[in-house]
Amino acid sequence: MAIHNLGYRHCEGQRGSHRTRWLVLTENGIRRAWASAWLRRMLFFAWLPSVLMGFMIFLYEQSESTDDPFTRAFIQMGTALLEPGGQGNMQPSGMLGFLREKDDHPGETRHLFWSSLLLTLFRRSQPFILIPMLGVITPPMVSQDIRSRAFLLYFSRPLSRTQYIVGKLATVIFYVLLITLMPALMLFCTGLLLSPDLSVLTSTGDLPGRILLASLLIAVPAASLSLMLSSLTTESRFAGFAWFSIWIFGAFTAAILSNSTWGDASSPLKYLSLFEVFSEVAGSILDPQLASSNLEEPVSILAVITAVSLAVLFRRISAPMQV
Amino acid sequence: MPALIELHNLTKKYDRFTALDSITLSISPGVTGLLGPNGAGKSTLIKVLLGLVSTTSGTGSILGLPLGEETQQLRSQIGYMPEDDCYINGLTGIESMQLAARLCGMDRTEALRRGHEILDFCGARQERYRRVDTYSTGMRQKLRFALALVHDPKLLILDEPTTGLDPEERDAMLNRISILSRDFSISVLLCTHILPDVQAVCEHVLILGAGTVRISGSMQDLCRVQTPRFELRVSGAAEEFSRQLQNRGISVLECNGDSLSVLGHPEEHTTQIWQAAAELGEIVRSVVPAANSLEKLFLEAVQETEHGNS
Repeated sequence: MAIHNLGYRHCEGQRGSHRTRWLVLTENGIRRAWASAWLRRMLFFAWLPSVLMGFMIFLYEQSESTDDPFTRAFIQMGTALLEPGGQGNMQPSGMLGFLREKDDHPGETRHLFWSSLLLTLFRRSQPFILIPMLGVITPPMVSQDIRSRAFLLYFSRPLSRTQYIVGKLATVIFYVLLITLMPALMLFCTGLLLSPDLSVLTSTGDLPGRILLASLLIAVPAASLSLMLSSLTTESRFAGFAWFSIWIFGAFTAAILSNSTWGDASSPLKYLSLFEVFSEVAGSILDPQLASSNLEEPVSILAVITAVSLAVLFRRISAPMQV
Repeated sequence: MPALIELHNLTKKYDRFTALDSITLSISPGVTGLLGPNGAGKSTLIKVLLGLVSTTSGTGSILGLPLGEETQQLRSQIGYMPEDDCYINGLTGIESMQLAARLCGMDRTEALRRGHEILDFCGARQERYRRVDTYSTGMRQKLRFALALVHDPKLLILDEPTTGLDPEERDAMLNRISILSRDFSISVLLCTHILPDVQAVCEHVLILGAGTVRISGSMQDLCRVQTPRFELRVSGAAEEFSRQLQNRGISVLECNGDSLSVLGHPEEHTTQIWQAAAELGEIVRSVVPAANSLEKLFLEAVQETEHGNS
């Protein structure tokens, strides 16, 4: 017997509330996911676009503080080169256009420019990190618990099935927000720090709320769907395969059907692509020029995806107990 | 003494299959053996007690708390060691213990301290720092026992706790169960197929068959025979000894090799036994009061179930 073995002793310590038990699962999930070197690499690449966009904000704000025509021309040329492009009619009027309009309506133009950058971040860069990142972290989250029968260990303790789901969801949402909300807020803060006057607060004050809303509307359905796929199998690679398939085949199918004779760009068939759904939502929330656009359809689709995913997830978690 | 578990007309049906059929029972504090053939309803009963499945009808209480209500409160007072090989993937032994303790409300530091303390009690050594998926069957068994104990439960439900253990570890496990019950007043519901384990540590026995209670009572009462008798072993042939005892008015029920089964209490016939031995020049090797074996009781219960089904 080890000298430190005190034998069995009763435990007299204070116990925490039942209601916060899901936080333990979340903390454990975050720690385990962080152990993946792939995840850390992806997070690094997820933050690179926001660094680039921070530099664009720097150039934009610099163009105001200098009167030297050569410097200004150089900055204009630089911002034109950095312009992400490819945003079709949602793009305000191009970076050079921003700079031309800037002197006349500084507050409005700044808001338009910032929201355009944020939209680019949400629509063009983050989905390409979000998909592989969730493809790495979520497939084993429920499937391995089913495989190793960990449910008996979890649910024989004061932890309800709802708390289990909330704990797992919060883990995934944490990482999604880490590549959507956090870089976008950092970008916003960078803009604030680089702005020459305090009027920036009034002209862009609505953006943090919009960023938060857009991030949550992406994070919650994506987390629910990926966890549901994980719960459908005991082999995490199948869940990963299903996750990538939904995105890739959905995008292909939507593209093919939208270009066919009985489909067009405004057809609801485009929503077969999750890219398109998330893109529409982010576009409607972040780009003030599209404020009148139809937000109901994509949000309804995301609500249905979330509700169905959570219902299936709950059922799959309850199933092992019924045997 | 208030009952630990009380169930009244409890029924659990899975679609058309009745897993528990109007069970009424009362289990006292202490160590209780839960026995029954496969499909008798043991696992379902355990899941009902833990609130993992809802009952179809009936009422009950565990540790004074009503069944099906205040499930979280109830689970914080029950430790469950599943029979299945279950573990939380990717964690080491001590991390699993810490997580289990934290899920029961302990803070991080206290959970870690408690985890080490219980692993020490369960005889786990440096393997606690290895990932659980690399553990042997016996080590996983010990870890599951430790996980059930980590939050200091009032009731321990152990499903096949000695399966997969070597004889030395099996004795150690049974010894731990006895210590917990005797010295720390932790009640234990021991579900097993290994009858000697039940005989070694249990004070009460509950035998289920086809979803109903076949036998329930204290081990002492159940093993006591209806008609007092004792087993006598002698050095030579038992037949001649049997004749001598019968000549002295003692009823011999059975005579086999060097042993005899004799009716009555041994202390009533001491003089006649010694006289017969002296007369025949034989040595009396042992005189043991007869008892019902648990195996016999179990087989009777199972046979009753089979007859009932046919």
